[in-house]
Amino acid sequence: MIKRFLILLLIIACTLPGSALAAPPLDLVRQTVNQVLEVLRNPALVGTARRERLSALVRARFDFALMSQWTLGPFWRQADASQKERFITLYSDLLETSYLGKVESYTDEKINFLGEKIDGERAEVETVVATKSADIPLTYRLARQGDDWKVYDVVIEGVSLVRNYRSSFGEIARKDGIDGLLKQLEQKVKAQEADRGRKSG
Amino acid sequence: MRVRLFGLIALVILSQGTMAMAQTDDAAASGPDPFAGEELEVHIADPLQPVNRGIFWVNDKLYFYLLKPLARGYRIVPEPVRISVGNVFDNLLFPVRFVGNLLQLKAQRAGIEAGRFLLNSTLGLAGLFDPAQSLAKLQPQPEDFGQTFGNYGIGHGFYLVIPFFGPSSLRDGVGRVGDIFLDPLTYTGLTTLEQAGVKGFDRMNGLSLDKDTYEQIKHDALDPYLFIRDAYVQHRQAQVEE
Repeated sequence: MIKRFLILLLIIACTLPGSALAAPPLDLVRQTVNQVLEVLRNPALVGTARRERLSALVRARFDFALMSQWTLGPFWRQADASQKERFITLYSDLLETSYLGKVESYTDEKINFLGEKIDGERAEVETVVATKSADIPLTYRLARQGDDWKVYDVVIEGVSLVRNYRSSFGEIARKDGIDGLLKQLEQKVKAQEADRGRKSG
Repeated sequence: MRVRLFGLIALVILSQGTMAMAQTDDAAASGPDPFAGEELEVHIADPLQPVNRGIFWVNDKLYFYLLKPLARGYRIVPEPVRISVGNVFDNLLFPVRFVGNLLQLKAQRAGIEAGRFLLNSTLGLAGLFDPAQSLAKLQPQPEDFGQTFGNYGIGHGFYLVIPFFGPSSLRDGVGRVGDIFLDPLTYTGLTTLEQAGVKGFDRMNGLSLDKDTYEQIKHDALDPYLFIRDAYVQHRQAQVEE
């Protein structure tokens, strides 16, 4: 009887929205960052294998679909399903490369995890990259998703990546339309891939 | 053509209201709004964009064909020495930060800057080292005239790209002129050209310690001009709010 009651309690606990079982955002971000750094510092991992490993780590912690929606803003509603899908694919690639590029340049630096601020469904994890000549504040913003927290923005020295892309993409979409924006995005992603090929080749 | 352009601008301004409504719709589709209560668009007027883009282009060439190669060559100087050179320049700009804090009536922050200056000028051997950095209570409190104006509610006016110096605005450009009066370099008796040389050296020293920030922005942005413009506005906003 008691056993059954306990099981019932467990089921209720698991289904409660935003239950206390969610791991702290700070730990989740720390885990991802450390894993990314581990791959970056591993000289044995090169080329596609390295990139795939990094990609998997980043995509598990970032919500690129949510970021896409917020970046496109008013143009998200105007876009049709196939445009949305193309945008998410291309933008995810761009964000991933951009974020990894930043972490890669900090490979030799010490990253300090200062703390977390949780405000209902949102959280901020503050980190500082201590380089020899300056301290660079880098904040991760996360949204709660069930028992998990996903990153939806990265703020470096007060500059939010999503806001920045939103402004410039908005200006491009107003001028060249959504298809024009997608075309420029595609060219950018291709150019980045070519760069990667040159670096690892 | 001109009339059509103005019509378009008016339309964009008018549609701001509807855009704000569209944002709430977006939020409904994705659960809680992660950006609730936040201004999402980065605003700065840019009426001089064609001219600004021209200067941006010149600065870009200046970077890749002059400053960067110089900085690269200069890297034969050991890194600790270059860090110390940067520290000295930074320490000397103390009056700009101190007065900025005072003008904004941020007495505590002004005190911290004074403490940093005293400690780094003595124990730090005339600013060569930054012992204050290791004390949590003595972290830098950067301020300048542009931020002071911002603190008193003065907006950017419009965006400006300044030759050699890069992104700025009407407000921050005027602030920069004010900052010159608080820069000890102005009172050294050096000619304008010599002073420019010293500033150029400071810049090159900083670049030699930088990890290709500009290259990375060009690598990541669809339109580096827009990306840097919006990043500048956000960065300054964050500094003003501090």
